[in-house]
Amino acid sequence: MKKRLGIISLFVLLFIAFIVVWNFSYQTGLEEAYIPIEKTQANSYIPSESGVFQRSEFALEYANMPIDKNHERTLDSYYNNRAYHGAPPSIPHTIKDEKSFGGNTCLQCHQNGGFVSKFNAYAPVTPHPEMVNCRQCHVAQNSRTLFKSANLIKVQAPKVGVNNALIGTPPMIPHQIQMRENCLSCHAGPAAPKEIRVSHPERINCRQCHVPTDRLVSEIKPFTRTNSNNDE
Amino acid sequence: MHMTNSLSTRRSFLKRMAKLSAITAAATMFPGILFASEQEEGIPNSANLDWKKGPCRFCGVGCGILVGTENGKAVAVKGDPNSSVNKGLLCVKGYHQTMCIQSKDRLTHALVKKNGKYVKTPISEALDIVANKMKDTISAHGKDSVAMYTSGQSTIPEGYVASKLMKGAIGTNNLDCNARLCMASAVTGFLTTFGADEPMGCYEDIDHADYFITWGNNMAEMHPVLFSRMLEQKTRRGAKIIDFATRTTRSSTASDRSILFEPQTDLAVANAICYEIINNGWVNKSFVEKHCSFSKGLTNIGYGVEDKFKFTDKPEKIDFASYKEFLKDYTPEKVEKYSKVSAKDIKYLASIYGDPNKKVVSYWCMGMNQHTRGTWMNNLMYNIHLLTGKISQPGNGPFSLTGQPSACGTAREVGTFTHKLPHGVVMNEKDRRMAAKIWKVPYERIPAKPTYHATEMFRAVDRGDIKFIWTQATNPLVSLPKTSRYRPAMEKKSCFVVVSDVFPTPTSDVADVILPASWHIEKSGLYGNSERRTQHWDKMIEGPGDTTPDAWMFIEVAKRMGYGDLFPYSKENHVEEIYNEYRQFHEGAKHGMAPLEVLKKESGAIWPYVNGKSTQWRFNAKYDPACTNGEDFDFYGKPDGRAVIWQRPYEPAPEVPDSDYPFWLNTGRVIEHWHTGSMTRRIPVLHKAMPHAYAEFHPEDAKALGIRNGENIKVTSRRGSCVLPASINERGLPTKGQVFVPFFDENMMINDVTLDAFCPISKEPDYKKCAVKVEKA
Amino acid sequence: MPIKSYLAHPHEGRKQHLIDALSAIKECEVLPATNEDVLVVITETLDDVSEEILKEKIEKIDSLKLLAMVSGFNSPQN
Repeated sequence: MKKRLGIISLFVLLFIAFIVVWNFSYQTGLEEAYIPIEKTQANSYIPSESGVFQRSEFALEYANMPIDKNHERTLDSYYNNRAYHGAPPSIPHTIKDEKSFGGNTCLQCHQNGGFVSKFNAYAPVTPHPEMVNCRQCHVAQNSRTLFKSANLIKVQAPKVGVNNALIGTPPMIPHQIQMRENCLSCHAGPAAPKEIRVSHPERINCRQCHVPTDRLVSEIKPFTRTNSNNDE
Repeated sequence: MHMTNSLSTRRSFLKRMAKLSAITAAATMFPGILFASEQEEGIPNSANLDWKKGPCRFCGVGCGILVGTENGKAVAVKGDPNSSVNKGLLCVKGYHQTMCIQSKDRLTHALVKKNGKYVKTPISEALDIVANKMKDTISAHGKDSVAMYTSGQSTIPEGYVASKLMKGAIGTNNLDCNARLCMASAVTGFLTTFGADEPMGCYEDIDHADYFITWGNNMAEMHPVLFSRMLEQKTRRGAKIIDFATRTTRSSTASDRSILFEPQTDLAVANAICYEIINNGWVNKSFVEKHCSFSKGLTNIGYGVEDKFKFTDKPEKIDFASYKEFLKDYTPEKVEKYSKVSAKDIKYLASIYGDPNKKVVSYWCMGMNQHTRGTWMNNLMYNIHLLTGKISQPGNGPFSLTGQPSACGTAREVGTFTHKLPHGVVMNEKDRRMAAKIWKVPYERIPAKPTYHATEMFRAVDRGDIKFIWTQATNPLVSLPKTSRYRPAMEKKSCFVVVSDVFPTPTSDVADVILPASWHIEKSGLYGNSERRTQHWDKMIEGPGDTTPDAWMFIEVAKRMGYGDLFPYSKENHVEEIYNEYRQFHEGAKHGMAPLEVLKKESGAIWPYVNGKSTQWRFNAKYDPACTNGEDFDFYGKPDGRAVIWQRPYEPAPEVPDSDYPFWLNTGRVIEHWHTGSMTRRIPVLHKAMPHAYAEFHPEDAKALGIRNGENIKVTSRRGSCVLPASINERGLPTKGQVFVPFFDENMMINDVTLDAFCPISKEPDYKKCAVKVEKA
Repeated sequence: MPIKSYLAHPHEGRKQHLIDALSAIKECEVLPATNEDVLVVITETLDDVSEEILKEKIEKIDSLKLLAMVSGFNSPQN
């Protein structure tokens, strides 16, 4: 009887020990699996410099180009072609070859632009010709109907003529410029929407005078002195 | 209707074409030609505004601005189309410069510290306190216990009155300025090579040059308007830009070639270029024989990191053969090993300088000046241009740029340095006699020995040797190197600190008296830019509260100290009276200054202003009436009329990366902010575009350290540390093993980390090189 | 309709006179250089004959030293 009791208590002890050890290792296991989430800046405020001077070799041609009033694009039609401002524009025309890749088809017209008689319009120039998988982001508009309607909030697109801080000063850049660092591709040439076509494309060092503003991205607080040891 | 419309469009297009081709033709006949009415096109003509001309407040380019005022307020700024500097163009800082004047924390009244609290005090009472404190300190501790630290942003009259008060009235050489921190090496470079300060050429060189070679100089951000002029020549004439630097920047992106080098090895590369020029027979023999001499100086000259460091160079004449022998250590093949510039690239650079049919301008600024061998580096730059004879001609020449609006006009020409006088130096008896005569003071009062240069001045404050210091229009506790030492130094009770400024800064935080200064267009004044152009402006608007022009505060204090008879100027007209007195110092063909009537009318004039004409190219007999030797060129700054080619070796930096501190730290600026940001950060447009500083990394270094973009990191040196967000391949890309941080942010003080080593000849600190380690914060 | 552009060089000290004289002519657009003694002149006339007459008229101005044509275009009449 004593012997049996001894065996049972031994097993009970072993069982308790097992539960304790298992629980402990389970808890530590949980801890180890936790990956701390570090705080980083959500929006990089310093725009990249890549592509800033691309197309500057055409600056003089842009400057001397006559304005073809009959085939000008407007800012309205420019915005109508994208879901919200900053979204990749959709393809408003038929596509030559469904299987082709950017470099072979899209870039033929969209790398340098020019008049396309088939569409009776000037082809807009892409600010990022190095990204050749165009249709990763740009899709065709094949239907005007919707699968189900939704309550999308329309983001206010930046307006023209209200972005300068003082009378006559160069307007600030009211939009993000990630992947659109090359200003001339959208702001110069016959395909540029007439409201935003630059009057002085030959200047080329655009960000000498035009700097980004936060108005539509995230608010940047005014300058405050954090090290100051007196606040009068 | 439609038809006529398109026809009239076509006609106006043809007219525009006709106009453009005529302008282009005129520009080839007259380089530098200006068509003001053409430049004005597109600028809104706000009819109600009253437009007044002046120079820009920021940077040393000296663009002409027109400020539009309405009901006594400055409401608009545009480029002055009549200024040949900028031809109607400005940069983002220039366009928005007036926006900070109405900042909420503008210093509008004098503040006097009483029991640890600042008390608003009437200006006249505050000036009494300053004058009494200065007088008491002098009687208790002697003349050399008081000091004044001024600025390359002070106007010409302000610098002149400061010099007259300290050197002429009080009789101490305890006057230095922040220009010591930015172009002292340029000055000693000019003086050792040519015996005369400031560039021989002018901005019009841009319209003639075939090549622009920039040395450690990110002009697209730091001198943007000049860079735009270069870009215009690149697109219109096919001129080439070559960027030689330690960091890939916006300038590199715009250039035809970007060549990177290891910090400090610019000395070796410049010598290697000279080696190539000689070795390939590209020396302009007749020019060198007629107009140059050869010298060498001392070597292993130290770095000035210890207090009371002293150095005097001992120049020694050498001949061409021994100079040639010296250069054998600098073959491109030997130099490529430590400069990380391929021998091919060195030869390429040399071939541009060596080609007699190509016109070359070299530009540099802080990269070469803020260098522990800054004077040497400036000398080496001149060697290249002298050996090839490419100097003092339209489109050919070395051009030293400046960072402050009147670094040339005030700091260098008026001479607000410890060793300087408005004409010449205190060590020279003739110069002292001249100053004493014009100032109407006894000649014995001006001491013959220089005292403290900027860094040593603040070391003396730390040691307790200086018991009173007055700073104006500058912010040393952000801009000095190693502020980790000088901030506690300025907080010490042993020194009474007076700060005159427009806005509160970390320097005014430690002041005993804060004086409210006028913003530049709230007073009249004169600035002098990098191309020897003197520019005048009239007061455009009233300043708020008790704000007072710096010059007038000096005069008021001088009167209170009993020197009233030396400062007989009137409040309304003191700028004109002081300038006319100052002009006497520079009379003559070598440095004549334009009369005020001319400067009031025109958008600046370049000195020497002789017989009613600016001198655009000095030392060239064709343009410079001061040349008298009958030859094509006359380097009249030197007694023998010859410019000196200096034998200057490569020597390493005082602190190089090692296993404990494995990275180079380089500091500098961004286009949005100027100086210590005390002005530009109060301009919302600029602050929002660049709200705080950051630390740039090479992507490979960032990967090795596991640093992601935007993550906070801590940069630490043997002197201090600073926490900033990392920036990987955004605004700039430093070479591997280098960290770059802009210094404008008083909330992220990178100068706590930098080293206060300086060039032993110029005493200008090196902000571009010290060793740091990096860790996640 | 011929459109032509010229560079006009005035006699010394007579730039202002030349500017005034040219500006008075309806068919001329004048663009004076600020810092050199030279003017850009653009003319727009109805046909070759009136162009010829205009040129003679310009050349009679006594403050004019030299008139050099730079470019010429012809746009169809409406």
